[in-house]
Amino acid sequence: MPKSKKLVYVPGDVLDEIMKVSRKRGESISKFIEDALKQAVRVESFGYSMEKAAEILEVIRAQKVLGGVFVPQEVLNYMVEKAYEVEREGLHTKWFENGKLYGKYLKERFENPVQALRSFLEATRWDLGEVEATVEGGVVKLRCVSTVLSVEGTELLAKFIEGAVDGLGYQIQRVDCVRGIIVVEFKA
Amino acid sequence: MKAGKVKRKTLVAREDLVDRLSEMAKQRGRSLYDTVNEVFEAAIRAERMGLDLRGVVEERGVLKAARDAGFILGPESLWYDLADLAYEKARRKVLESWFEAGVWLAKRYVTGAVGDAFEAFKRDLETFMWSVPELSIERMGDSVLVRVISPRFTESFTFLFAAFLEGALKTFGYKNTSKEVFRGRIFLEAVKVGVDAQK
Repeated sequence: MPKSKKLVYVPGDVLDEIMKVSRKRGESISKFIEDALKQAVRVESFGYSMEKAAEILEVIRAQKVLGGVFVPQEVLNYMVEKAYEVEREGLHTKWFENGKLYGKYLKERFENPVQALRSFLEATRWDLGEVEATVEGGVVKLRCVSTVLSVEGTELLAKFIEGAVDGLGYQIQRVDCVRGIIVVEFKA
Repeated sequence: MKAGKVKRKTLVAREDLVDRLSEMAKQRGRSLYDTVNEVFEAAIRAERMGLDLRGVVEERGVLKAARDAGFILGPESLWYDLADLAYEKARRKVLESWFEAGVWLAKRYVTGAVGDAFEAFKRDLETFMWSVPELSIERMGDSVLVRVISPRFTESFTFLFAAFLEGALKTFGYKNTSKEVFRGRIFLEAVKVGVDAQK
């Protein structure tokens, strides 16, 4: 039995976009509408908005493209501590360069790469309790807080973020890094 | 997109979905118009980026499972560098820490409320190791065969990951009967403790 229908209002330009996308997909507009609404209801049951769902997918895709790997957090911390004793400066350089690669990728892929960097850190570094990006007077302030990061882990992550900001094409103005807290300020 | 600045149009959608969306909007203290708008904008953006939102539930499952299992996601090359340096500096201790990580992870499944703990461990590990071209863990009666092939693994990372697997197998009650570890290749054979390996 066909399901009942309802009329909903949408902005005219959004409807135009829906028509374009449906045409490109070779599907009817009603199929696109139904799919989008179904997905919205589905992701909402997991506590996400559609926007958040898209962000998660994109972050995972970036990780797959750039070679993301899962490792046990405990052994990672241990390895960081040991590796730091051998080659602190070399590690800083490598984490910076790797961050730069991520930054360049985010810049190419996202309309708002700063928010993408924030999402990226939030979605992959779950040892960070807080990740926020605020803008004030044209200066972006990226702040990460963790209660579990070691001094070494904090310093390496700070280098990665500095590299990412550099890769995004921004100029770093200030870096504040103490155990578990990283603040990076930058402007375009 | 600001409401009121653009011309509104109407479209037809399934009533049950619109009703559900309307509930969602109420819960968030927003209008149905804004919520519908947000949903379509996100769907259009995802489409432009080539993303299929249908995959989000599975991908979210991967991240959640990894997070619950104490894994962290990061750049492969940096992890391998760390493994190389730590292995060079304190080989025995780093191997021990990976072995213990395997023990801990397996224990989490053994002591959890999952049906077949070994199967759950196997499924999650295969999911977490998405960058490994070949990872198979086969259980045949009282034996287990583990085969890992990854040309990108460094030598030290291969040995460390093998130690991790050995720790996990031990926790599931298996003892090694055969072991071959070379750069990028791990082959482990184990049998349930108390079972004759020749059987």
